[in-house]
Amino acid sequence: MTELVSNGVFWALAVVAVTGALVVVFTREVMRLTLGLGAFLLALAALFAYFGFGFLALAELFVYVGGVLILILFAIMLVHRSSEGRPELDTRDPWLPAFAATGSVVLIATMLWPSARSISKITAPLGLPDLAGRLLGPLLPQFEIAGALLLVALVVVVVVSGGERE
Amino acid sequence: MSLIVLSSLLFGIGLFGVLARRDIVAILASVEVMLGGPLLLLVGLGSTARAAGDPSGPLQAVHVEGIALLVIVVAAAEAAVGLALLVSVAKQTRSTALEDMTEVRG
Repeated sequence: MTELVSNGVFWALAVVAVTGALVVVFTREVMRLTLGLGAFLLALAALFAYFGFGFLALAELFVYVGGVLILILFAIMLVHRSSEGRPELDTRDPWLPAFAATGSVVLIATMLWPSARSISKITAPLGLPDLAGRLLGPLLPQFEIAGALLLVALVVVVVVSGGERE
Repeated sequence: MSLIVLSSLLFGIGLFGVLARRDIVAILASVEVMLGGPLLLLVGLGSTARAAGDPSGPLQAVHVEGIALLVIVVAAAEAAVGLALLVSVAKQTRSTALEDMTEVRG
């Protein structure tokens, strides 16, 4: 019974994630694209929590849903303010991209299939003190590099956005 | 098994969006979808490593969480810089279509 509920939760989240991703890829309306991306990111964060990575789910929520999604909304508002009419997102001839994407999916799934049986789902929660000890211990250089990268990105965004002012 | 199907499907959908869309906003959103698939697989593998409980194994749950955090940070930086470039270029071209951005100036 517990496994049935667990599988049901996993597949429900998977359906939401795939539906959101399909909306992102196929819609012509920018607001629908944003809503689809939001649904996809929320489902992804919920899947992280489902696998027992609660801190990662929170980070996904804060960084993507609270940061990147709002950033995309602001970019859409800034960019489409001066254009005429309702903004629409065009798509190229889809057959060649569909062929490439299908081939990639088949290749990746075939490559990973032998290890499929070793992937389990529900485990005990991870201890946050352990993660903090790693981030401030052996992973400290990577942690610092990530912080420096964010700082550089911030400076680049300020320079690119404000560079045209006279 | 279902995790591999889901993650590769998400990667494929994102790849299709990157190749098929003309608008930069849609391409950036598709890149985020592409990143989501492998990240989900990484988290699933971390869940397996935690279930195995082998502290000397090559892949531990803490490593997975650290790697995933770094991926999220890099993706956030990429999205911020990409959107700033988009706003800057779109002010000049008055369009977000990729075909309209043909001029490269130093």
